[in-house]
Amino acid sequence: MQELRDLARRLLRENQVNVILGYECARRGVRPAFITEAADCDRLVFDHRCVHNLAAYLSPRRTHVRALGRPAVVIKACDARAVAGLIRESQIEREETVLIGVRCGGVVLDPADSSPLSSGNIAPRCSACDQREPALFDHLVGEPKGAPAGEASRDARLSEIEAMNPEERLGLWIGLLGRCTRCHACRQICPMCFCERCIADKTQPAWIETSPHSRGNFAWHLTRALHLAGRCVDCGECERACPARIPLGLLSRKAARSVASRYGYVVTDDPAIPTPIGSFQFDDGQEFIA
Amino acid sequence: MNIRRMIGKTDLDVLIRDLISAGKRVIAPVRCGDSQHEALEYAPVRSPAEIHWAGPLPLRSLKEIIFPPTETLFGWKQVKSSVEIEANPNGFRETVIIGARPCDAAAFEIVDRVMGWDYRDDLWFGRRQATTILTVACPHGDESCFCPAVGLSPESARGADWFLTPADGGFEAAILTQKGEALLEPYKAQWPEPNNFSKQQLSGLESKVRANLKVQPESIRQWLEKHFDDPLWKHVALRCHGCGACAFVCPACHCFDIVDEPEGIDRGRRRRNWDACQPALFTLHGSGHNPRKDQAARFRQRIMHKFNYYPARFGEVLCTGCGRCVRVCAAGMDLIAILAEIGRRSEEAGAAS
Amino acid sequence: MASSFEPNIVAFVCNWCTYTGADLAGTSRISMAPNVRIIRLPCTGRIDTLFILKALERGADGIIVSGCHPADCHYTAGNYHARRRFAIFRDLMEFVGIDPHRVTFSWVSASEGGKWAEVVDRTTERVRRLGPFRTYPRLARGAGE
Repeated sequence: MQELRDLARRLLRENQVNVILGYECARRGVRPAFITEAADCDRLVFDHRCVHNLAAYLSPRRTHVRALGRPAVVIKACDARAVAGLIRESQIEREETVLIGVRCGGVVLDPADSSPLSSGNIAPRCSACDQREPALFDHLVGEPKGAPAGEASRDARLSEIEAMNPEERLGLWIGLLGRCTRCHACRQICPMCFCERCIADKTQPAWIETSPHSRGNFAWHLTRALHLAGRCVDCGECERACPARIPLGLLSRKAARSVASRYGYVVTDDPAIPTPIGSFQFDDGQEFIA
Repeated sequence: MNIRRMIGKTDLDVLIRDLISAGKRVIAPVRCGDSQHEALEYAPVRSPAEIHWAGPLPLRSLKEIIFPPTETLFGWKQVKSSVEIEANPNGFRETVIIGARPCDAAAFEIVDRVMGWDYRDDLWFGRRQATTILTVACPHGDESCFCPAVGLSPESARGADWFLTPADGGFEAAILTQKGEALLEPYKAQWPEPNNFSKQQLSGLESKVRANLKVQPESIRQWLEKHFDDPLWKHVALRCHGCGACAFVCPACHCFDIVDEPEGIDRGRRRRNWDACQPALFTLHGSGHNPRKDQAARFRQRIMHKFNYYPARFGEVLCTGCGRCVRVCAAGMDLIAILAEIGRRSEEAGAAS
Repeated sequence: MASSFEPNIVAFVCNWCTYTGADLAGTSRISMAPNVRIIRLPCTGRIDTLFILKALERGADGIIVSGCHPADCHYTAGNYHARRRFAIFRDLMEFVGIDPHRVTFSWVSASEGGKWAEVVDRTTERVRRLGPFRTYPRLARGAGE
């Protein structure tokens, strides 16, 4: 922690950056911090409550964050994949952002959860994660850490749904997506949902019905999952942000499974590797085409 | 009205079963559909056994019972060169809410003011009229609750037709309205009056949640009135992602959008949907201009509406202190901390003048 | 009763290959099922998956998406991009319980009038057996309706 604070202080003092996007303790657990004064760097923390993917604040659409000046951002390995995505898709320049990589031993689901990290409260994506430090960084801090094993395999549910018959699946998703009220928390918190004007906000024509009935919700969540196929960094933020507690990760992991099995593609923190939907091979499988 | 009754747990179950078999919609806190979470939500029940009387505040407020996230206003159909309107049969189904939390029940009375102000919203009042509310003394508060700071309490009966206080194996019920009396009528003779009218001592919940936030709404309002352009807004809004989660879980937020959705080339439906002031789209003009140009302006609007404009027009704040916006915010926006800061500044300004 | 059901099928086709192929089928007077309405687009690369969902919303029972064979795209690579997009979308559709048998993807060139007629006939027969897809448009029925 001291290493992180000292580094942040130095970056601000030497005018390498104008703001540190990091984490701080607040009244209710840990929350994102925007530190512009070297004297405030002791507020910075990094521990298993640092759930948030701060790469979301790097988007050029966040004008109020941009206005603070050149940022340094604290990133876990999963967050680094989002930074790579933003660079790959020409949203930010690699040189304009200082990346403070942190070694991570997994995080909890709720940043207000103050109990120690255990197999009972670790985010399922973290117990399955094999990347404990980012490969994309300017500075790397913290001690190497292992993560406690999680209790359930999170892909078990995915396979369970795949094994259902179509009517059961449709019934399941009508139940789940029927709860969506279209607050768009999933989109707003997503570091890869950076469109200036989302297709779901367009009304002439309204390709996606804005009403939160199941039909509008199917169009929205299917389209979002497709637009994130091969781009979703599996940070789990959409599912955490959902006030209706819809397991949105199932859709994005299904898309990830699809691009992995069809195109051997796994999301990386290498900005030079193109996304599967933005590229193709002449001999891509076409068993479904008549 | 000063009718009181002791209601045993089994008597209450009888009442609930009677309501269900009479075809009424009975809404109560139940375990949230997704079994992974220890969460509750208000939902229709088929049996009293489904009801959770204790436990945390339900995820979403009761608002959706009176004001659904989407509802059809009418349908239209093109017939030759004219348009036929098909009225939507908005039958207001008789509804009884069992186990409403005080902060949710109170919100209805607060929102009634704007819904009946310059235009009387028949959909809102139609459902209000058809709904009887049985509030229960709040069984559970946490670090995000602040109802005492906005003039309510875990034992506030505001907006309730019955107010239930747990008492040896059942409830002591205060019947507060004519609607409540009508609901009691079939059981009035069977159920005894309580022996003493002393108020039950609750588990110190009020003092616990009172400690979360100590401000005066009027002092907040005074500061807000003079600080439309204050650096505070830019500072606190930095982490906000601009979604509508806080507004959609809020019992008092009531903004909506009206859309026409075609069902084909010659017919469609006009629907009313929840809307929220934090997304940029809320105020985006057709020209591309947005009068609330950044998140600071949008977040200021949220606070101003609830704690300045609404009290200025209707005499009370548009907030019941349920704390859902605090719990639900994935970015850690904390209304309690923000109101405490505004309260502190207001006091400083008051001391200086 | 099922045999009397005539499905509504919407075909999204590219201007250069399949539309011309369908035209050839017509001028060659090849008989085929009359259930398909064609919507012509520049390229399969222009066919957004939302077109499929919108057609289902408005009551289509089946969908055909068709364009140039690989290596034949008028714009060089539109069909390669479309192929990946539709592959993933098909997996997602299946995952949420929309039967992918309602959607046919095919390559039909300008000279394949006969193949177009086959695609139309086979899709019509398959969707006829699946029955009407009223479930999807009715998903909009919510509170107060």
